[in-house]
Amino acid sequence: MTGTQAVPAAAAVSGSVPPPVAARRKPARGPSGAYRPPRATRRDQGRLGVLLVLPTMAMVGVFFLFPMVNAVYYALVEFDGLTAVPPFVGLANFAEILGDARVWDALQNNIVWIVLGTAAPLLVGLGLALLMWGVEKGSVFYRVAFFMPYILPQVAVGVVWGWIYDPLRGWLNAALEVVGLGSLQTGWLGNADTALYAVLGTAVWITSGFVFVILLSALRNVDQELVDASRLDRANRLQQLWYIVLPQIMPVFLMVTTITLIGGFSVFDIIFVMTGGGPAGATEVLGTYAYSSAFELNRISYGTALALVITVLAVPFTIALNRLQRRLSLDGAGA
Amino acid sequence: MSTTTAPRPAPVRNRPSPRRQASRAARHTLLVVLSLATLFPVVLAVSTALKTPQDVRVNPFGLFTSFSTENLVTAWTVGDFDDYLLNSVLLSVPSTLLVVALSTMAGYTFARLPFPGRSFAFYLVVLGLLVPFFTYMIPLYFQLRSFGLLDSLVGTNLVLATTGLAFGTFFMRAFFSDLPTELEQAARIDGASEWQIFLRIMVPMVGSGMAALAVFTFLQNWNNFLVPLLYQPNGDYRPLTTGLYLFLGGRSIDIGPLAAGTLITILPVVVLFVALQRQVTQGIVSGAVKG
Repeated sequence: MTGTQAVPAAAAVSGSVPPPVAARRKPARGPSGAYRPPRATRRDQGRLGVLLVLPTMAMVGVFFLFPMVNAVYYALVEFDGLTAVPPFVGLANFAEILGDARVWDALQNNIVWIVLGTAAPLLVGLGLALLMWGVEKGSVFYRVAFFMPYILPQVAVGVVWGWIYDPLRGWLNAALEVVGLGSLQTGWLGNADTALYAVLGTAVWITSGFVFVILLSALRNVDQELVDASRLDRANRLQQLWYIVLPQIMPVFLMVTTITLIGGFSVFDIIFVMTGGGPAGATEVLGTYAYSSAFELNRISYGTALALVITVLAVPFTIALNRLQRRLSLDGAGA
Repeated sequence: MSTTTAPRPAPVRNRPSPRRQASRAARHTLLVVLSLATLFPVVLAVSTALKTPQDVRVNPFGLFTSFSTENLVTAWTVGDFDDYLLNSVLLSVPSTLLVVALSTMAGYTFARLPFPGRSFAFYLVVLGLLVPFFTYMIPLYFQLRSFGLLDSLVGTNLVLATTGLAFGTFFMRAFFSDLPTELEQAARIDGASEWQIFLRIMVPMVGSGMAALAVFTFLQNWNNFLVPLLYQPNGDYRPLTTGLYLFLGGRSIDIGPLAAGTLITILPVVVLFVALQRQVTQGIVSGAVKG
């Protein structure tokens, strides 16, 4: 078998002379028996590969890698958007970030957002997925309904939820009145004590659908025989869930947790649209602060440095996610 | 594992005891209530948009008390939503086609065509999955300005496409990796060139993957807010998302046309999603699990 390799190999070594057609046609096999194309074919493949990947590399290079490297440069100089050679300031921007009270307030809001904005959608999404598990009738409608919030443009979502939170005629205040909790009525987005939680409520509505869809697909892969066996052993619903179901979906559950956590660092659209970071910074997060530093206060370098801080904070979670996904897709391949 | 593919018998069908039937009914009732509650904000948008302007003024958020298309007409003509809609198409269709075409090409290479430095190139591309857009959005603004690509369809499309390439390449690579080598070998024996093998044999086999990627990417680009907000500073080609945001800030008293603008913004997304919900959810799930 290995003998077939000799001919194309010799042809390839001899230079630009194309290999004999007969030699090129025979599929060669390595010692392991796995298919390994002849060298001439591999050369053709390499050429095509470079050609096919070139446009992607060009775009990634120009519109992603280059500005990313530039971001580090921007953070180390004081750029005003006009000066050709802005003065080098070293780590001054980062030092200023450490002493900036607005940054710490924003970080605090980010942390609240990450904790509650991860825990609540996980609980709601898991609940919905378990409720839907095994339901066939009407499952398309339920799936569309629960997942819909996640695919809508967040600007539009922000507009409509603004009406629900409307201080005078919003549905939330009306609902509180009906159930006799009228004393809790407030202007949800205009009140500094409630604004962050109001926007979070909307975010939970959005993200739960995502968690739901992922966990539902994980539940589909749960070994039903184990569940049935545990039922015969008179395990109650809660025991089945805790000992049989949850361990099996745990990797996916952890992964969805990490994705939601990472999203918490870079939250922007929904806050920007619903409150713009206000009132009085009550809903400001690092993302909205980076944006307003650069594009409203014209502190371009400071905004870039802030953006780098967000990235660095999210990196450990991103690496964890990466590991989880690799393990998961390996498991998937093995199953 | 055979249990994942074999259809799972519904446990309730075996023993339709009265207690089980009752629990099934309770479960469906709960599902109906919860799904309607989840859809409520969407219903609210539709209802407010389709009321008469007088009705909106008196009772802005009540559900379906009158019917009129007047708000839609106002949004369309006075609110420029006709332009925004066209711009949304012009900003999401080309960028989506670009992502699908380039990701398919690059994904095939990274899965099947070896050349020196291939894995390094792959890491450079998928680095985009790890780095948030925040990190480089500000330098990118000045870069586009120096290229003369601010307020242009080309510039915004290229940025939107680039943000989708990391995931697209990763996604398509997974599809190409799963294909068997036999067909490729047979084609080679028949004298097909590497280019023909790619275009005539491999690409047709990943059609479902390309479709899922197209729908997923289109939704992302259509919904994108930050990219057009930043790179269309004068709003020459402002899409629905930033157009709606501007409308929200400028005329927040006019709830009727605002609701109509919201409806115009979400309607294409809802229609596309309902029609292709399987592809969308598949794209999201495999995106999360694999990507």
